[in-house]
Amino acid sequence: MKTNVSSTRRDFLHKLGVSAAATAVAGTQPLTAHAAVRKRNIQYAMLIDTRRCTGCHACSVACKAEYDVPLGVNRSWVEYVEKGDYPNVTRNFLPRLCNHCDHPDCVSVCPTGATYKREEDGVVVIDEDVCIGCGYCIQACPYDMRFLNPVTGTAEKCDFCEHLVSKGIQPACVETCIGSARIFGDINDPTSEIAQMIATNPVSVLRPDKGTEPNVYYIAADHSGEHERQRNRYVRVTTHRKQKIRR
Amino acid sequence: MSTELHWGFPVISYLFLAGLGAGALTVSASMFLSSGGTASAKSYFPEARYGALIAPVPVILGTFLLIFELGSFQVGDWFKWIKLFQVINLSPMSIGSWLLTIFIGISLVYAYAFWPRSRMTGDQLDKLRKTVAWIGIPMGIAVAVYTGVLLGAMPSRPFWNTPMLAILFLLSAMSSGVAVIMLVRALSRNGRAESEDTARSGYLLTKSDAMLIGFELLVVFLFIMFAHLTVGDVRHAVSIILFSDRSIELFGVNMAVTFWFWVIVVGLLIPVTIELFYIRSGRRHQKQFSVPRSVEIFVPIAVLVGGFMLRYVVVIAGQVTGSIGI
Repeated sequence: MKTNVSSTRRDFLHKLGVSAAATAVAGTQPLTAHAAVRKRNIQYAMLIDTRRCTGCHACSVACKAEYDVPLGVNRSWVEYVEKGDYPNVTRNFLPRLCNHCDHPDCVSVCPTGATYKREEDGVVVIDEDVCIGCGYCIQACPYDMRFLNPVTGTAEKCDFCEHLVSKGIQPACVETCIGSARIFGDINDPTSEIAQMIATNPVSVLRPDKGTEPNVYYIAADHSGEHERQRNRYVRVTTHRKQKIRR
Repeated sequence: MSTELHWGFPVISYLFLAGLGAGALTVSASMFLSSGGTASAKSYFPEARYGALIAPVPVILGTFLLIFELGSFQVGDWFKWIKLFQVINLSPMSIGSWLLTIFIGISLVYAYAFWPRSRMTGDQLDKLRKTVAWIGIPMGIAVAVYTGVLLGAMPSRPFWNTPMLAILFLLSAMSSGVAVIMLVRALSRNGRAESEDTARSGYLLTKSDAMLIGFELLVVFLFIMFAHLTVGDVRHAVSIILFSDRSIELFGVNMAVTFWFWVIVVGLLIPVTIELFYIRSGRRHQKQFSVPRSVEIFVPIAVLVGGFMLRYVVVIAGQVTGSIGI
């Protein structure tokens, strides 16, 4: 999808590249500095330790505030997964955000090339100047992470707070997490905290069978879904978003 | 309904209307070319003319609906869709919008070539009609197939993610094309008696439609069977159109009744039964093929309703179903 992008998008990429290089030269920001020295592909990723998540929704609120996301839609949210019969019950929390997949289905269906995976850091972004709001990517995302912004009329989703990360600041949800459940960083850098945590812990990703190779990892994620009710197991998933049933 | 629908009535209508227009042009061009490609007395010129004049209308109307449903259009950015034509990539929607644009152009030229009512062999339009008919057939098939590929390209939507859908939409489009020509033909006949020519063309249309519906039933059967005999996402998703109770329990909508009654019974079984009855009785008694005008109007309407309901069921069912588990 890299052919014939509009001039606005090229300018946009160019500016981003310049600013990233400038911060790297300044050497003040560890995330970008690493990349500049080693000259290898950065792939930003997130690891969420659900054992440390209390389901407080601070991440969802920080995300809403950071992007001024309109009412009724969310870039990130926390699902509650309740299961079992008294007294053997549990409630787990599953924070959700864009997986910034290695093989994003949303990118391959975009008819205008508005959404693409950035080569410099592996973040899947949307150029809202090019997006026409056809909704194809919203249908194609296996994680249902995208929505149509009712104000701008374009598709929107989590972009790992690229405007903060390019300045060396952590994404808003990571900054705000009260339990330090979220670790953000370059998964391709073996010395990064996230790479080491993933190497030393049992981790999982969501819907690995879709072959999208997600870059959001979980420790101790509860993968139960309401379809298990058919096997006479009580499971209730509360999505805390407008879309009440996981698709 | 507890699921957000991003593609609603405009997209459903578009899929139906694009198929209808593509079908009308393809059927018209096929009839025209198979009977010699001229406006001679023995050709199916009147039927080809109906198809040619109808074809651009639904396609253009459907395209307008499609633009209307764009997020950018709804917030007042009325011409942002032009960005579709600044790029061509492997997205089915990108290829589809180029195909659709070319098809609209072709269908307008084709309609122009058939505009004069009189059968003038050897006139200036004669060559144009024949040339555009040859281009129109593959383009019509391409547009009809692409409407299915558009939905089928996404692994995230197990209900849609099958090549069967493209074939089903193609057959349904062709059947709708035959039906709309039958309908306009019946309406414009207006009490005139059956001549040998109209009997011949009526027989061809009825026979073709019965065959197309037969294949549609086969494809629907294969679609359901392969989905139901698998495990996991696809089986889970297709249960929405098979069983009412599961449809309501799992997805909060009852798609099963809509599917079985409107798509299968009204759209396929009733028309094919009636058509086969008249084809068969005509053959058995060695008499001229003749169908009462009321039947000639009712059957195509049932086919068209079925075609619309097929798009409705598929578009809704695909969106409310997804992968199981997380």
